Amino acid sequence: MRIAITGIGAVSAIGLNCTQTLDALLKERSGIAPMRYLQSIHCHLPVGEVPCSNEELRAQLQLGTQPLPRTSLLGIAAAKETLTMAHIQASESMAFISGTTVGGMDLTEQHWHDYAQGEALENIHLHQAGESTKAIARQLGTFGYICTPSTACSSALNAIILGANLIRTGQVKQALVGGSESLSRFHLNGFNTLLILDSQPCRPFDADRKGLNLGEGAGYIVLEEESEAIARGAHIIGYIAGYGNACDAYHQTASSENGEGAYLAMTKALEMAHIAPQEIDYINAHGTATPNNDLSESAALKRVFGNKMPYMSSTKAFTGHTTSASGGLETVICLLAMQHHFIPANLNWTRTQDGLAIPTTHTTQHPLHYVLCNAFGFGGNESSLILSDRPVDLSTAPFNHANTVLAIGQTDDSDISSYISPAESRRMTPQTRRLVTTAKRALEEAEISTPDAIICATQYGSMLQSMRFLQDMINSNEQQLKPTPFIQSTHNTLASLIAIITRNHSYNSTYSQEHQSLQCAFNDAETQMSLGLIKNALILEFDEQTEAWDNVLKHINEHTSNIARAYILTANNKQC
Amino acid sequence: MEELIEQLKQQIIEALNFEDMTPADIDAQAPLFGEGLGLDSIDALELIMLLDREYGIKLADPKSGKEVFRSVRSMAEYIEKNRTK
Repeated sequence: MRIAITGIGAVSAIGLNCTQTLDALLKERSGIAPMRYLQSIHCHLPVGEVPCSNEELRAQLQLGTQPLPRTSLLGIAAAKETLTMAHIQASESMAFISGTTVGGMDLTEQHWHDYAQGEALENIHLHQAGESTKAIARQLGTFGYICTPSTACSSALNAIILGANLIRTGQVKQALVGGSESLSRFHLNGFNTLLILDSQPCRPFDADRKGLNLGEGAGYIVLEEESEAIARGAHIIGYIAGYGNACDAYHQTASSENGEGAYLAMTKALEMAHIAPQEIDYINAHGTATPNNDLSESAALKRVFGNKMPYMSSTKAFTGHTTSASGGLETVICLLAMQHHFIPANLNWTRTQDGLAIPTTHTTQHPLHYVLCNAFGFGGNESSLILSDRPVDLSTAPFNHANTVLAIGQTDDSDISSYISPAESRRMTPQTRRLVTTAKRALEEAEISTPDAIICATQYGSMLQSMRFLQDMINSNEQQLKPTPFIQSTHNTLASLIAIITRNHSYNSTYSQEHQSLQCAFNDAETQMSLGLIKNALILEFDEQTEAWDNVLKHINEHTSNIARAYILTANNKQC
Repeated sequence: MEELIEQLKQQIIEALNFEDMTPADIDAQAPLFGEGLGLDSIDALELIMLLDREYGIKLADPKSGKEVFRSVRSMAEYIEKNRTK
């Protein structure tokens, strides 16, 4: 089967659509600028904001007054452009898979005091990543499948990977895939506690780089089988050639010195595409411009490409780091570059340093056949995607439900100390400790030490940590915040933490789709089993009771719950 | 100085969630990172925040913390010289 890309759409600091985005790339016009719409005391930090207020976005999209997080507004704009370009409409045969982490956090931080008074309650549900995706979907039509991968900054690339796998197993005919993320005070302050924000425009791969600039945006593509695309007369922009997801399993926010996870993700993608490294014409690097990322990614690139480095650039000096959306937005940038035959510039670069890969500093005309796009996230959730301008055959398999749950981990608190050392447990919430213990017990019972995949389902991630950081931020007026609650607030903290503790570099993902989260996690595992990509998977289910959020939820008669379950799923089908 | 060291030990225990530890368990001369307490880069960020919050000291560059965070004693010495509150 050949998976064609028939539509693309992008919204970011450099443009509200693909035409504007292309123009900015060709003219080397960065969107990094002083803060204009986000209200934060850290207004000295430059950001990559989409140049529209929420009201302006609503007007352009002809939306009414119903509450919508900015993540959804940006997503609606980019998704509409994508479907329009593909000349296709949402339908039961189409999946909508959209990565995000921020979700509706902008509404939550804005209405926190209103909630305490029992006001603005219509915004509460939108806090959830999965609900912000559904809010986008509602503006587009009916989809057969909706799902929200939340693996921090690789979320959108993992959405593309899942979409391709769903098509390869015949579960859907088309997939609208990518991601969306708005700026929020929450994650601006969070990144600020990590001391990785540059107060100047960011300088990816430069010796003097001081960190990243946060950005926002959305980017989507339409995937469909080539024959279907041809049959309906669609214009084919490019093809999916290969992809890989691996876990660095090293640290919750930093990347390993040798870039192991990134190396594995790129290697898997190249193997799937059946091409040699030197056939890659251009690499759109993750290139955040933090001292750590660029050095680690360079190490991984050198391991893969040796001294024959293809053209390489990070486009984050144009857009800022659009976090969960970056994999979608940068895939669109790669496809624009492929269509218009150029290497996008790596802006603001002046000099190299030992160990750093050297980027292409100016927009350069060049034909592109194979392009590699990297997106790496907190917890070492690394993903790579290879796009091609020519058809690439991918294997297929019928979707197969016939899998066995080998073990379901259960635990009581007395077990914890025998499974987690004090050094490991000191930053964990009680519920996180239960999950880690449960997971380890389940693996033990199933006699599997290194599962082929770790997939977590969670509505809120570690809500205790999220609420801790949010309340501290509001109460302190964004000052002197502790980094640990922020680091642990991302939904993918649990799956990546277990990978770190068990040193597991295999496939790692997290889904946050409200009450369907667990279904999404099982479906991903069974899809990969059908394709013979994995033989077994550790599936986690996590949520935690959080008083601060219960005080909000009580106004709508809901509450959070403690859930810490682990399932070991193994494949029965012959292909494995 | 000794008083500051004791206070600092207590603050480190709280900031880094060493729930089962008491100040007596921490050797003021021992390395904080690697061996000794075995702290990591997330702890370094927490310690930078602690210096700001409790002593009004801003260490903007995590690298400059290397010497400061060698041991509890070196931290206390740095605080005594640079504190603004």
